[in-house]
Amino acid sequence: MSPYDHEPPRWSITLLRLYCKPRALEIIEGDAYELFYRRIETEGLKAARRKFSWDVIRFFRLRYIKGLEDFNSLNNISMFKNYFKTAFRSLMKQRFYSFINIAGLALGLAVCLLIVLYISNEVSYDKYHPDVERVYRVANGKSGAWTPARLGMRMKGDLPEVEETVRIQGPFSQTFKIGDRIFKEEQGFNADSTVHKLFEIKFVEGNPDEALTQPNAILLTKSLADKFFNYQSALGKVIKVDGEDVQVTGVIADAPSNTHFKYNYINSYPHESWVTIGNWTGNNFYTYAKLSNGALPTSVETKFDGLAEKYIAPVIIQYSGHSSYEDYLAQGGRKPGISLLPMTDLHLRYPHLALGSSGSIENVYIFSAVALFILIIACINFMNLSTARSAMRSKEVGMRKVMGSVRGQLISQFLVESMLISVSAMVLALGIAALSLDGFNTLANRTFTLNELFALPTLLKLLGLVLVVGLLAGAYPAFVLSAFKPIKALKGESQTGGKGNAALRQGLVAFQFAISIFLIVSTVVVFTQLNFLSKQSLGFEPDQVLVVKNANRLGAKGQSFLNDINRLPSVENATLSSQFVSSGISDWGYQTVEEVPREHSFINMFATDEYLETLGIALVDGRNFSNEVTSDTASILINESAAKWLGWEDPIGRKLSRGVNADYTIVGIVKDFNFESLKREIEPFVIRPMTWDGKAEAGWYAGNYLSLKLSGDYQNTVQSVKAAWERAIPDEPFEFVFLDDAFNDLYVEEERFGKLFTASSGLAIVIACLGLFALAAYTLERKYKEIAVRKVLGASVKSLTLMVISSFTKLVVIGAVIAIPLGYWAMKQWLSDFAYQIDINNPLVWVLPALFVALIAWLTVGYQSIRTASANPIKALRSE
Amino acid sequence: MQRTNIGEFEELVLLVVAILKDNAYGISVMEEIEQQTGRKINISAVHSALDRLEGKGYLDSRVGGATKERGGRRKRYFSINTAGQTALDAIHEQRNRLYNQINLGLKYVAI
Repeated sequence: MSPYDHEPPRWSITLLRLYCKPRALEIIEGDAYELFYRRIETEGLKAARRKFSWDVIRFFRLRYIKGLEDFNSLNNISMFKNYFKTAFRSLMKQRFYSFINIAGLALGLAVCLLIVLYISNEVSYDKYHPDVERVYRVANGKSGAWTPARLGMRMKGDLPEVEETVRIQGPFSQTFKIGDRIFKEEQGFNADSTVHKLFEIKFVEGNPDEALTQPNAILLTKSLADKFFNYQSALGKVIKVDGEDVQVTGVIADAPSNTHFKYNYINSYPHESWVTIGNWTGNNFYTYAKLSNGALPTSVETKFDGLAEKYIAPVIIQYSGHSSYEDYLAQGGRKPGISLLPMTDLHLRYPHLALGSSGSIENVYIFSAVALFILIIACINFMNLSTARSAMRSKEVGMRKVMGSVRGQLISQFLVESMLISVSAMVLALGIAALSLDGFNTLANRTFTLNELFALPTLLKLLGLVLVVGLLAGAYPAFVLSAFKPIKALKGESQTGGKGNAALRQGLVAFQFAISIFLIVSTVVVFTQLNFLSKQSLGFEPDQVLVVKNANRLGAKGQSFLNDINRLPSVENATLSSQFVSSGISDWGYQTVEEVPREHSFINMFATDEYLETLGIALVDGRNFSNEVTSDTASILINESAAKWLGWEDPIGRKLSRGVNADYTIVGIVKDFNFESLKREIEPFVIRPMTWDGKAEAGWYAGNYLSLKLSGDYQNTVQSVKAAWERAIPDEPFEFVFLDDAFNDLYVEEERFGKLFTASSGLAIVIACLGLFALAAYTLERKYKEIAVRKVLGASVKSLTLMVISSFTKLVVIGAVIAIPLGYWAMKQWLSDFAYQIDINNPLVWVLPALFVALIAWLTVGYQSIRTASANPIKALRSE
Repeated sequence: MQRTNIGEFEELVLLVVAILKDNAYGISVMEEIEQQTGRKINISAVHSALDRLEGKGYLDSRVGGATKERGGRRKRYFSINTAGQTALDAIHEQRNRLYNQINLGLKYVAI
């Protein structure tokens, strides 16, 4: 068979013909074929084909690649080249407008880019776990966080739909001792050994299935293990965690940033009865369940009723004294129930269940709205400037039409131009976004890196955004300009840009003002509210109260430490308590002792008798309990809200009960004080005595926090307390917080929100001003002659300036009319979260922002109108 | 002394074109180089060198007739022109002059 019957690979020929310059193609192809035929003889068909393809690839050199000139036959390409050229020229011709156009758009895009980054991160939370659509968080009732120990164990055994469950507790912070180095580490969790079957946990070392089966086992993340063991293998090492020997049974990859379960280390559970047997009444575990394929969460929720009747009902009957479960339900007893919430919803929709990941769907909405607003303002600038400039281009359009251009071509010309502007804005936006990433991270409480900003998906989204913006913002000018009648355009008749256009431009400017006013109003309200909260009296004195944490770790050394502290002259009072105000205090159920007992969950705190004095809480009735009086262990203090709830005429001396032999006599009523964020109303609250060794309620250890009232130089006092602490237990880091700081920290989210609004309304104003400035400059340029004629006829600079300004003022008024009702509605919504609200019916809140915007508009426009009006009219009128 | 803007590989190609006289085209040049020097080179490198030399004005080219070995495609023959010859002469002369200065004919000495 002759070699000429064979053909080289089809695709390489196609490729060669695709890229190669026609001029060189025949010669190259010829040589390649010649070599191919020869090689068939010498090296065989297969090698020849392979080498042919290789040659073709090697010919892919700049020298042989088609250039634009090789497309000359396609007229479109050269037209596009021309569009680019004219677009570039017209941009350069009016550098000032182009700069404002591009800068405004770039700012808007930069904001959008950052927000897109934020939102795509927020919605990506927990999506990376395998089978995440089958993983649910089991909530107690509708959305209670804590569930009983037995729930997780029973669900898996009794309900076929449930494939796997895991119980988790945390996050904790614990003390690690490795050799003689001590670390305090946060974000630690306890978990059942099944945790890796529901959550994606990558094991670097250790066996996933056995890692958490034994007590006193711990999984460390890679970064933690590296920190503890200096980049050496950690598996099998024994370390001290809170004083106990614990073995490292696995090293796991660090949790990604987009998970609500952000573990730093995971402890195994001890083999103790509260874990292995557990009960149905104590809610102290978080439960997650993975359903089998195709199982419905609703069917699990319904089937839980069966479990409740089988397991929980007997316990309830025993405690409540009802004759049967039906009887209990009929008397209005709370029916146990569970809800299965998709795990991917936890971060955004159930932040109180999300183990502290601080997501908020509202923030996502607000951020999106702000991004949209700013983008709209930037787009409006773009449209306004383009249409305003259209008059300048009318001759060009007329010329092109006369030369045979059809409307479609003109439209694409102007679209190319707007694309060019938006793509240059995109490049600038990337730069701005990169520079402001740090600030944005603080604002959004996230840790984005430049790598994430420049990641392909983000860039693709930005490009998409840019194309949409270019198209939207460019479409209107493109259609307006391309519709010019050539004769009129050439005669210069459509120079005015049309009355309709001017009205549209003004409408758009009014809309910009509306958005700006809306954002400023929001900023003012948010800040007034935050200011109001910080000035609001808490009902006690949090100043100069130092709270020492982990006081329980002092153990036997507690008394000597206390003696040390009391000897310090600047410590006025010291008191132990189970929790501290501002930190979220748990509630305990009590029954009233009366004919028809009522039940209520009171916020419950244990404290030693100096608590009231230390915090400056006033007593309104009765007396404080005393640690010296033995009978006072059964005393209880209530606050005014609790007294109101109880509704007794004289509550002093009456009793609250927690079951048989657990009655507590009310000895005093304290004034209502805010023990939580001012977002919440003051709830019924009780204080019960704790002994000085930190014990409460049957020897249960509760003295976790030591509060000290300081006077004088508190900086030095903190140092002295720290020194005493280190003398007592050198192994435990000294942790403290000032109570007023702790209260301020409750409003971190709100303050962030306030900053967000300031930043966004500032940006909106800047962008809107840029546009206004350019538009005013342009308008005045067009009115140059009109103003000159008026001046010649006797108008003063003042009256001319006022004339121009008043037309813009009208737009501000229209904007205010749109913005204020919207702002009122939106701010009412936002304020409804707070128990203590400012009065937003104050007209100043609404009028001042509008005046502020008007002032800025006057300054922007006024500067230019004065300049134009004070110019010599002869210059304008001299040449026609 | 004039500087010629010819690279090492280009010089090789120029020499081979001169050697091949009337039969210098892509493949023949490539094969000649492979035979004479033992270097393995790709056809695209030869083409690109020939194009560059033509651009610099050292080679002339004409298009030859189509043959069956090339699937009916024409080849481009190259020939060296006077500028090319002058350049080769200049390079040759310069090399020799430098070479002859090495110890005036003594053998290389390790320094």
